[in-house]
This record gives sequence, C-alpha cells and structure tokens, in this order.
Amino acid sequence: MPHEDHNPYLPIPMHVLHAYYESTDQSLKTLELSFDNPQDARDFFAVFNPGQFCLLSVIGKGESALGVASAAWEGDFVRFTAQKMGSVTTALHALKPGDPIGMRGPLGNGFPLEDWKGKNLVIIGGGCAFSTLYALTKHLHHPANRGDYGKLTVIYGTRTSGLCMYKQDIAAWHQRDDMEVHQAIDVPEQDWLHHVGYVPDVVKEVKPSPVNSVAVVCGPPIMTKFTLPALVELGFTPETIFTSLEKRMKCGVGKCGRCNLGPKYICKDGPVFSLAELNALPADL
Amino acid sequence: MNLILKKDQLTDLLQTWRADYEVYAPQALHNFTHFLPLEDGFELAFNKAHNTRIPPKALFLPTSEALLKFTRFGGYEAVSTQVPPRLIFGIRPCDARAMTMLDAVFEQERYTDPHWKARRDATVVVGLGCHTPCQTGFCTTVGSGPFDRAGLDAILTDLGDLYLVETLTAAGENLFDQLSAAADEQTKRANELQQAAKESMPITFETEGLKEKLDANFVSPYWEEISRSCLGCGVCTFLCPTCFCFDIVDEAQRGERVRNWDTCMFRTYSLEASGHNPRPSRVERTRQRLSHKYTYWVDQIQQIGCTGCGRCVRYCPVGLDIRGMLRKANQLTTEVPHAA
Repeated sequence: MPHEDHNPYLPIPMHVLHAYYESTDQSLKTLELSFDNPQDARDFFAVFNPGQFCLLSVIGKGESALGVASAAWEGDFVRFTAQKMGSVTTALHALKPGDPIGMRGPLGNGFPLEDWKGKNLVIIGGGCAFSTLYALTKHLHHPANRGDYGKLTVIYGTRTSGLCMYKQDIAAWHQRDDMEVHQAIDVPEQDWLHHVGYVPDVVKEVKPSPVNSVAVVCGPPIMTKFTLPALVELGFTPETIFTSLEKRMKCGVGKCGRCNLGPKYICKDGPVFSLAELNALPADL
Repeated sequence: MNLILKKDQLTDLLQTWRADYEVYAPQALHNFTHFLPLEDGFELAFNKAHNTRIPPKALFLPTSEALLKFTRFGGYEAVSTQVPPRLIFGIRPCDARAMTMLDAVFEQERYTDPHWKARRDATVVVGLGCHTPCQTGFCTTVGSGPFDRAGLDAILTDLGDLYLVETLTAAGENLFDQLSAAADEQTKRANELQQAAKESMPITFETEGLKEKLDANFVSPYWEEISRSCLGCGVCTFLCPTCFCFDIVDEAQRGERVRNWDTCMFRTYSLEASGHNPRPSRVERTRQRLSHKYTYWVDQIQQIGCTGCGRCVRYCPVGLDIRGMLRKANQLTTEVPHAA
C-alpha cells in the first residue's frame, strides 16, 4: 500500500529492458521495463495483482494507461503491449532498450483471484486486450497457483494470425495438458489450424460449461457486447462473468473525474467488474 | 463561542492577522469580486450579498499548476507542496461546504492529493453568513443554507455596525481570542436573522426521490430537452465550487507536467485515442454534469454534490437554469426501464 506521504502523480523511474514488435504489422509493441530502484520493485510486487494497469509516462508526451502483461513470478520486470494509437503510444513505440521511462502503478483492482479459487476459469480475449489475460494465465501457470483453480480454458481471437500476441507462449500452451486453448482469426488463412470466426461465435462453438466456473472477457467493445450474452445463454450467471473496462484516463487514482461510470471510477474501482455490477451501472461507455 | 467584532475593528484585525497568515478576502477586480491576498490599503468588497465569481476552490486547486518537473536525465521530480499559513476571510457558507465535499475526492484513504491536502491543512476559513441571500442561490434546497457551518472555523453574522462571531473550531477560537463575548441579546438577534434568512429562501425543486428519477431516466428524451440551448462553454463547471475535474498535460518547453481545470462539458474530455467518445454530444455531457451532482455524489458520499451557490445560473451565457432543469426532472417517473 502506498504510504501516506506518497505522491500519486510521481512516476516510478524505470528503464526499457526489452522492446520488440508483437504483431507482424508492427502495430503492437511489447515493452519490458526494469526498476531503477530495488525498493520500488519490492513495493510494486507486494501489491501487484493480474488485471491491474499502470500509466506509462513519456516526458513531453504524457501518460497512457496500459494493462500489465506479466506475472510477478516472471522476474523483477513489468511487461506491457501497446498498440500505436495516439501521441503517447507512438512515443512508446520509439523507445529502445536502455531508454528511461516513468511508470505509475499498479493501479485499479485487478481480477478477484481469491474469490475464484476452486473454480474453473474460462478466459476469453480479443485483440490487444488479451494482454492482462495473458498475465492472468501466466500467473495461474505457476505451480504455486495452478492447484488453487480447476479447469483452465483460453479462447483468444484476433483479426489475423499476424496480430496474435505472445505467439511462442501460446503455441506452447497447446502442448500443456492442464489447459484447453482455442485460437481464432476472423477470416480464413492458409495453414491456419484453429478456429475461424468471431470470438462470440467461437464461444458458442466451444460451449464452456458454466458449472462451478467463472468467465473473464477482455476485448474490443464490440466483442464484449456480443460475448456477454453468449455466456449468459450458456448458463453463466452475471455474478460469474467478469470484464475489464477502459475509458480515457488521466490521473489513474480517482481524482481527475473523466473515467467515471456512474458513481464508480474505472481507474480506482475497476477496471475489473462483474456483469452483475455493470448491470447496476449506467451504460455510459 | 459567540463574540462581538465591531466593524470599525475589522481592518485592524485583518492587519494583525497578516503578520501570521497570508490573508485572502473578497476584493473588487474587473467588475467582479475575487478572493485576493490582502495588500496594504486593501478594500474589501462585501457590499454585494453574493459570491465571488471564481469559487475559492481555486485557492486549493489552482486553474493551472505544475505537478512534476522533468529532470535532466529523463526523470521526474515532485513539485514542493509547502504552503504558508493562510486565512480565507469572508467565504460564503455554500463555498465552505463545497470544500468539505472536495476533501472526499482529494483526501481519499488510498490516494491523497498532496497539493490539495497541504493547502487545506495550512488554511483557516472564516465564513460570512448571507443575511440577504442571493437571487440565484438555492442552498436551502440542497441541504446547505445561508448560515451553514460546514467546513468553517468561524462564522460571522452581520448585525449592522458589528459582526457576531461564532467560533466553531480551536483554530477559529484562536483567531478571535481578543474579542469580548456577545451579550445574550446580540446572540438572540443573530439567531433571528439567521432564521429569517433561511426562511426567505424558497425551496426551488424537490430533492426527495430526485436521484431515483434521474437514475431511472438515464436513457430519456429529458436530457435532449434540457440541453438543447447549451453552448457547451463549460462555464457552469469551471465556476462550480464542487466541480474538480482536471486534465494533465506535459508542457515540454517548461519542463513540467501540469494539471489544468477541465470540464465534462467539452468533447475532448472523454474522447478516446481510438476516436470513440462515450459522450459524443452535449446531451450526454449535460447528463454527466447533472447526474454527477445529483446522483453519483449521493451514491459516493450520501450528499448532493451541489451546494446551491447559484453561479451556474448567474453566469450561463444562454440563461440555462439548473433549478428549472431539476424542476423538470421532478416530473419524470421512475417507471421506465434502466439504461438499455
């Protein structure tokens, strides 16, 4: 927990450890950042929970909110995958190993992993929003955590195979006997061995069982919009469906006002909400 | 404790305080009154029985301030939050209550805003009750009042040639420890005046059940109707004592990360990098402004997020009146489905 005289606007000094393109069209780039001060790393990992996000800061450009794409056990670094979109993410794409960068976080609530213990997990992602689900899957893979959860099913769709992130890891996941992986692309491609179609349709095809299960959905709004009802149709209750939301953010700590959804701030009270919680909030997205 | 301050003593008292505090009081500037630091030969502007144009929140959350400085080698440095002892004299009760509400935002358990907190901690607040409430104000409607004590260290009641000073905190007592106690007769007169001021203000709309009506009508032609003449200038939010939204931008040439007041009435406020905007028109933006004050604040701190100061009514360039908007909301029913 941040101590009382902690300045919530002050970024943690970090350096770029690795920077590499994640997609063949170079629209997605992964940055792995290391901590300049070991104490900052200890403070970060003492509270970090998969599903949380950070604000990455580029001097002169500003800050951008990105979900953490790494699990704590992977080492004293934090991974992010940024889609080149506005001025900050364009600047993030220009960073090279060794470059300094600021980071604020971890912010937000993250996934309610304690509540999910003993349950089967259905992880459904689309596009670059899969990053926090990747962190979640990595977290669950650790031997110390895997036993706490039941069956693990991952459904991950991208527009093309080239846009699929974390390819090596995901290829290896297919070989694991403790999980089920379903990959999908929107339109057929030569040599593609997995599903073809939109994520909501793939979910209907895979038919994950709602029995003692929770589903977590992260993707573009259009995918989320159609996947949530598909899950409800399969028998998942609103209390067992989770999603992570995004809105424009500035402060990340519930002060600047702009990411509110009714009385809740996505940065502070979210970004992870159950469908039951969302149903009680105005549709201001 | 009730004390007596003769009006002809006031200037001397303010001068005395200047030795220990940076003293702010309403003074005339460019056709309006503002909270400005007292300088030699100051002249107070208490003749108008209403608020300064810019609310005193600006003394705690300046329109623009640096949060960080960039260092030479790509690092960040916090800006000092040291504030000298300050005294705000003559704040109106609606504005003082607003400060207590903003504390709930800036001094949350998990994340405290160091700039806000330093300024709050360093500031003593002396209020001046409104014996002639202003035309546009509606404080009594929203749970405040012309002599609301919330957020004040002391409050003054104008009794003609003297003020009755009611100290409310130790800091307030300390300020006025040279004054003599009020006679029972004077306290009684002040009480009558306070009561009369309150009673002179009509209840302008019904707050009972208002939140439920607004919540139930998140999707409703109501919002289009009330926002039709809005220009989207944002003056209602900039001059609102409980509005606190800000933007954070990098001023590269100055080497600073700066926060500036922002407003939900602007398109760019919620515009996302993808081009998507959850509040694309003034309809959604008006809905956000009203709902924030009359339902979201209520959920968060069980208080309406408006203190009825009336600035948004007084300064709206097209004469939009939040009281009228809410009277119209009173006629909505809760018998509609929640947001589809």
